[in-house]
Amino acid sequence: MRIWRNLGLLAPLALAGCSVHDLRLFFPAGPMADVEFHYTWLMVVTMLIVIVPTLVMTIVFPLRYHHSRNAKYTPNWDFSAVIEVLAWGIPLAIVLPLCYMTIKAVNALDPWNPPALAGQGSGGAPVNVEVVATDWQWVFIYPDQKIATIDELVVPAGRRVNLTMTATSNMNGFYIPQVAPMVDAMPAMQSKDAFIIDKPGQFTGFSTDFSGAGFSWMQFQTKAVTDAGFAAWVQGVQAGAPALDYPTFTAKIAPAQVNYGAKISEFTLADPKLFDEVMAAAMMGKVYPVPPALDDSVNLAAATPAGQ
Amino acid sequence: MAHETMTADAAVRLWNAEADEHDPISARTYGFWLYLMSDGLIFASLIAAYAVLDNKMSAFGHPMADTLLSASQGFVQTLVLLGAVLALSLGTLGLKTGARGGLALGLAVSAALGTVFVAQGLAGLDAMAAAGNGPTASAYLSCLFVLLFTHGLHLAIGVLWSLVMLVQIFRFGFTQDVVGRLLNLRLYTQFQAAVWVVVYLYVYLFGGAH
Amino acid sequence: MQPDLQGPWSPLLGRLSLAAIPYDNPILVGTFLVVSVVALALVGAVFYFGKLGYLWRNWLTTVDHKKIGVMYIILGLVMLLRGFFDGVMMRTQQLLADGPDSAGYMGAAHGYLPPHHFDQIYTAHGTLMLFFAATPLVAGFGNIIIPLQLGARDMAFPYLNAVSFWLTFAAAMLCMVSLFVGEFSNATWVGLMPLSEMSSNPGVGVDYWMWAFQISSLGTTFNSINMIATIVKMRAPGLTWFRLTPYCWSSLATNIIGLTAFPVVTVALTLLGFDRYFGTHFFTAGYGGNFMLYINLFWIWGHPEVYFLMLPAFGLFSEIVPTFSNKTLFGYPTMVAASFSIAGIGWVVWAHHFFTMGMGPNLNGYFSAATMIVGIPTGVKAFNWLFTMYRGKITFTSPMLWAMTGIVLLLIGGLTGMMLSASVVDYTVHDSLFVVAHFHCMVLVIGSALFAATIYWWPKVFGFKLDEKNAQIFFWVFVIASLLVFVPMFELGLAGVTRRLDYIYNAALKPLLWVTEVGIILYFVSLYYFVKMLVVSLLRREPAAADSWGTGRSLEWLTHTPVPFYNFAVTPEIHSREEAAWRRDRGLDTARPTEYVDIHMPSNTGVPFVLGVLSFVWGFALIWRIDWLVEITTLAMVVTVILRAFDKNEGYVIPAAQIARYEAKIATASVVADVADEAPAGALEV
Ligand code: HEA
Ligand code: HEA
Ligand code: CUA
Ligand SMILES: [Cu+2]
Repeated sequence: MRIWRNLGLLAPLALAGCSVHDLRLFFPAGPMADVEFHYTWLMVVTMLIVIVPTLVMTIVFPLRYHHSRNAKYTPNWDFSAVIEVLAWGIPLAIVLPLCYMTIKAVNALDPWNPPALAGQGSGGAPVNVEVVATDWQWVFIYPDQKIATIDELVVPAGRRVNLTMTATSNMNGFYIPQVAPMVDAMPAMQSKDAFIIDKPGQFTGFSTDFSGAGFSWMQFQTKAVTDAGFAAWVQGVQAGAPALDYPTFTAKIAPAQVNYGAKISEFTLADPKLFDEVMAAAMMGKVYPVPPALDDSVNLAAATPAGQ
Repeated sequence: MAHETMTADAAVRLWNAEADEHDPISARTYGFWLYLMSDGLIFASLIAAYAVLDNKMSAFGHPMADTLLSASQGFVQTLVLLGAVLALSLGTLGLKTGARGGLALGLAVSAALGTVFVAQGLAGLDAMAAAGNGPTASAYLSCLFVLLFTHGLHLAIGVLWSLVMLVQIFRFGFTQDVVGRLLNLRLYTQFQAAVWVVVYLYVYLFGGAH
Repeated sequence: MQPDLQGPWSPLLGRLSLAAIPYDNPILVGTFLVVSVVALALVGAVFYFGKLGYLWRNWLTTVDHKKIGVMYIILGLVMLLRGFFDGVMMRTQQLLADGPDSAGYMGAAHGYLPPHHFDQIYTAHGTLMLFFAATPLVAGFGNIIIPLQLGARDMAFPYLNAVSFWLTFAAAMLCMVSLFVGEFSNATWVGLMPLSEMSSNPGVGVDYWMWAFQISSLGTTFNSINMIATIVKMRAPGLTWFRLTPYCWSSLATNIIGLTAFPVVTVALTLLGFDRYFGTHFFTAGYGGNFMLYINLFWIWGHPEVYFLMLPAFGLFSEIVPTFSNKTLFGYPTMVAASFSIAGIGWVVWAHHFFTMGMGPNLNGYFSAATMIVGIPTGVKAFNWLFTMYRGKITFTSPMLWAMTGIVLLLIGGLTGMMLSASVVDYTVHDSLFVVAHFHCMVLVIGSALFAATIYWWPKVFGFKLDEKNAQIFFWVFVIASLLVFVPMFELGLAGVTRRLDYIYNAALKPLLWVTEVGIILYFVSLYYFVKMLVVSLLRREPAAADSWGTGRSLEWLTHTPVPFYNFAVTPEIHSREEAAWRRDRGLDTARPTEYVDIHMPSNTGVPFVLGVLSFVWGFALIWRIDWLVEITTLAMVVTVILRAFDKNEGYVIPAAQIARYEAKIATASVVADVADEAPAGALEV
C-alpha cells in the first residue's frame, strides 16, 4: 500500500506547490477507504501496462516516420493479422482482470452490509446514525442515544458506524473522503452506508450531488473520538441540548437563505420516529418553499431584498 | 485491399452519366421508415416508463388499470382502429389501377374511424378525470394519461394527414409526390395500429378489468 | 390544469414582465451591450452593402448541403466562443471564492457570482457546448463531406436538412435570449430531478433549458434520418459498402445512435414538461413519482450521446491521419467493426453515471464491466491510427498535429474514464472535478478533430488554404492552455473537490487554481491567433488546387476546389475505397469528364427558415406561458407544413450546355459563390 502511495504522489506533486496532504484520496483512514485506495492503484497500474506503451508509440511513430527521415515507406501496407489480433487481444487481456477486480471490490463495499468491514475495528458495538440531507444542511440522528446534531457527525474511532440516509426534497451525495464511499441521500427513499475510522481525527464531509444554491456550503465536520470521548459527548448533549421534534425540525431546516457559514447545533431527540416522518412527508409530496432570493426569474427578489 | 484491380487505364470508366436517377420514392419510403423507428422508440420509452410506474407505490392510493380500464371496451377501440387501417389499405389498392374514387372512399372511412377512435379515447380519459382520477392524482395516472394521449395525438395527426391527401388526390392526381405521401400515410397508420396493439395487450388486457 | 405559478401572470404577456430583464446585473448588461452592438453591426452591414437579397437567396433559403454545413459550423464556432466565456467566468469564480476568508464582490458572499448565477453559467455552458457547439460542428462537417464522399448531388432530403438546421438555430437562439430575458436553468445540463421540478425551480430557467434542448434534439433526430438515408441510398455507382470511407462508416454508426437515442430523451423531457406545465407527477418525490426513471431515461440517451459526438471525431481522424502519412488507412475492416462495437456497447452502460445511487454490487458490477469493454474497440482505433503512421511519410501540418494531440488526449481521457467505470474508484471521485477533467479531455478530442477538420477541408469549401503559420501557433498555445486548465483539475478531483461548487472551502488549493487561471489567459492568446489565422488567410486567398494537400485520398479531392454547387459535373464511377489515391496512382486524377448531361437540382425554399422562426417564437411563448401565442404559433406551424405539401416544388434542371460553360469557367473562378450566383434559385425552372 505504502509503495503505491509514494508512486502516486510523485506525479501530481510535480505540478504545483500544494501540500500532498491536500490530496485527500491518497490518505485512507479506515477499511472502506483502504479497499478503494488499494483497487484504485492496482487498476491504474494494470491499465498503464498498455496506456504507457501506446503513448510512447504515439510520440515515436510520427517522429520516426516523418518524411524528412527517409525511413522505410510502405504506402500500401494496410493489414496485418498479427497486429489486428494483438490490437483486440491486448486490451481484452487488460480488461478481463480489471472486470474481475472491480466486481470483487464492489462486492466488498456493498453499502447495505460491506464485507470489507467484517472483523475490522475494535469490535465495539456499532453506532447507528440516521442521516437526513436537507436544503442545505445535514441532520444526524442517533436513534440509540436519543440525540441529534446538525452539520456535525461525532463517532467513536474503531467502532463500526451504520448510516441510514434520506433527504427532505432534493438528491444529495453523502461523502466523507478518506472514510466512506459516496452514497446518495434521496427524498422519499432510503439508502445505506457504513464505515469504520481507524484513529481519532477530523474529516470534512460534504454533499457531492448538486442540490441547489446552498450546495457549496453543505459541509459537516466528522469527528472520530475515543470510546470514552464519545460517551462523554453523548452524555453532554443528552444533558444540555434543546429538544428536536418534527415541527422544530421543519422550522430548523427551512431554507431561508443560503447557509453561508452554517452553525453546528445539537439536540436531544424528542421524536424517535423523526427519520420515518421525514421520509413519509417526502412521499406525500411535501415541498419546501424556495428561498425567494434564489429565484429571481419571477422577481420575488425585488419584493424581498434579503440576501442582496 | 485499397488498390485491388489493375485495369488497363484506357478501359476504366471514370464518370457515369446515367447515375443521377435515384429512385425518389424508394429513398423517401426508406427515410419515413427510419422516422417510424424513432417514433417506435418514443413509444418504447413511454411503455417502459409505464412499466416502471405500474405499481401500488406509484398509484399513490388511487385506482389502477384493473378498476379504471375495461379490456372489452378497449377491444372495441381496437376494432375501430383496425377498421381504419383496413379501409386505408384497401383504398390504396386503387393506386395500382388509378382508381381515385376507391382511394377517396378509403381515406374518408379511415379518417372517420380514426376520429371515432380518438373520441372514444378522449371520452374515456375524461370520465376518469371527472371521477377524481386525473393525471395529477398519482404518478401512475400521469403515465397512463400521457401514454394514451400520445397515441391519440399520433392518430389525430394521421386523420389530418388523410384529409390533406383527400384534397391532394383530386387536386394533383397520382403524381410522384402524392403517391409517396400515400404510401407513407399507409405505413404510418399501420404502424400506429401496431403500437396500439402493444398498448392494448400490455395496458388493457394484462392490466385492465375483464 | 396548470400548477400554481409563483409570481405574476397576465393573459397577454404570460409571466413576462419588465422585471424579467436583469438590468440590475452589470455582467449581463455588459454582455447585452456587446452582443447587441455586434448584432446591430452585422445587420447594419447587411443593409449597408445591400446584401439582404443575397443573404436570403443564397443562405437563408438554401438547401445546398455545403452551405447548410457552413452555417452549422459558424453557429458552432460562435457558440464555442460563448461557451468559452462561460468557462472563463467559472474558473475565475472558483479562483476568487476559495477559503472562508476570500473576499466577495458585486453582492456575492465569496467571489463575484452569487450561487444562483454561477449555477446558471455551468448549466448553460454544458448545454451550449454539447448541443450548440459540438453537435452543430459535427453535423456541419457531416453535411459538407458526406455527400461529397458519396459522389451525391445533395443529401437524400435537402429540404429536411434545412429544417434540421433552422430548428437547431432556433434552439440556440432561445439559449442566448435567456441571458437577457429571464434566466437559464440552474439544475445542471443533465437536469437533476427533483431539482428541475416546479417545487425546487419555480422560475422559467428550467423551461428555457428544456425547450432549447427539446427543439435541438428534434433537429438532430431529423438530421440523423437524413444522414442514414443519404449513406444508404445516395452512393455513386461502384461505391459498394466496403468502399465507403471510414468517415462515412463512423457517421453511419453515429447517426444510428442519433436516430435511436434522441427519442428517449425527447420522452424524458416531454414527461418533465407535463410535470412542469400540467402538474403531473412523473419525477416528483411525492405522489408516487419516480425521479430515478428520469435519471435512467436521461442516461440511456446521455451515454450514447457522448459517442454520438465522439465517433464522427474518430472518423475525421481516420481521414486525416492517412492523408498526412501519405499511406492507406491501416486495418480498415476492424476500424468499421470497432465503430459499430462502440456504438453498440454504448447502449448498455448508462448506469455508470450513477453508481453512487446505492444500486447494489450486482448491478454496479455489471455496469462497470460492460463499460470497461468499450475500452477494447476504442483501443483498436488508436492502434490502427498508430500503424497507419508506421512506415508512412508523415508531414506535420496543423491538421496532423491536431490528430496526434487527439490521440494523446484520448489515451488520458480513456485511462481516467476506465478508472471512473470501476465503481470502487467512482465511489471516491464521482461528481468531482476528476470527472470534469475526464470529460473535458474527451470533448477536447472532439475539439481537436473539429479544428483539424476545419483546416483540412477549408480549401475544399472556400477555395483557399488557411494560413499554416498562425494555425500552428494557435495549435500550440491552445494545447498548452488546455493542459494548464485540465491537469490541475485532475489533481483537484483527487483532493476531493466536488464539481459545481461556487465556493471551494479549502484555501490550500489556491496554487492549483492559479495554474488553471493561467491556462484560461493562454486560451485568450490562442483565440487571438485563431482570428489572426482567419484574417490573414482571407486577405491572402491563394487559390488552392483540387487536391489541396497533394495527398488527399477520398473522393471529394477529385472535384473542383472550391466545390461547385452541383458537386460533380458528372457523377464519378467508383473503383476503390480511396478513389482519389487510386486515380492518382494511375495518373487519372486530373482527368475530367468530356460529355455532360442535364443535372436536376432541388430549388431553394424559405419554408425551413419560417419553421425555424416559428419554433423559436413557439418555444419562447411556452417558456413564458403566453398561451395565445403558443396556440397561434402551433397553428401556424401546422398550416405551414400543410401548405408546403401543396407546393409542387420539383426543383430545376441545369442543362448540359450550361454545365459545360461552368466547368470551363471554373478554371478561373476562385470562390464558390462566383459560380453559384449564376444560377439564382429556381431561375431555370422546368
Ligand atoms: C465524448 C465524450 C466522452 C467519451 C468518448 C467518454 C468515454 C468514456 N467515459 Fe466518459 N463522460 C463524458 C464524456 C465522454 N466519456 C461526460 C460528458 C461525462 C460526465 C457527464 C456528467 O455527469 O456531466 C462522462 C462521465 C463518465 C463516467 C461517470 C463518472 C461519474 O459521474 O462519476 C464514467 C464512468 O464510468 C465514464 C467512463 C468512460 C469510459 C470508460 C469511456 C471509454 O469510452 C474510454 C475508452 C478509451 C480508452 C480506454 C483509451 C484507449 C484504449 C486503449 C489504448 C486500449 C487499452 C486500454 C485499456 C484496456 C485500459 N465517463
Ligand atoms: C463539448 C463540450 C465542452 C467543451 C468543449 C468544454 C470546454 C471548456 N469547459 Fe466545460 N463543460 C462541459 C462541456 C464542455 N466544456 C459540460 C457538459 C460541463 C458540465 C456542466 C454541468 O455540470 O452541468 C462542463 C463544465 C465545465 C466546468 C464546471 C466545473 C464544475 O462543475 O465545477 C468548467 C470550469 O472550469 C468548464 C470549463 C471549460 C473550459 C475552460 C473549456 C475550454 O476548453 C474552452 C476552450 C474554448 C476556446 C478557447 C474557444 C475557442 C473558440 C474558437 C476557436 C472559435 C472562435 C470563433 C469565432 C471567432 C467566431 N467546463
Ligand atoms: Cu439517486 Cu435514488
Ligand atoms: Cu457515460
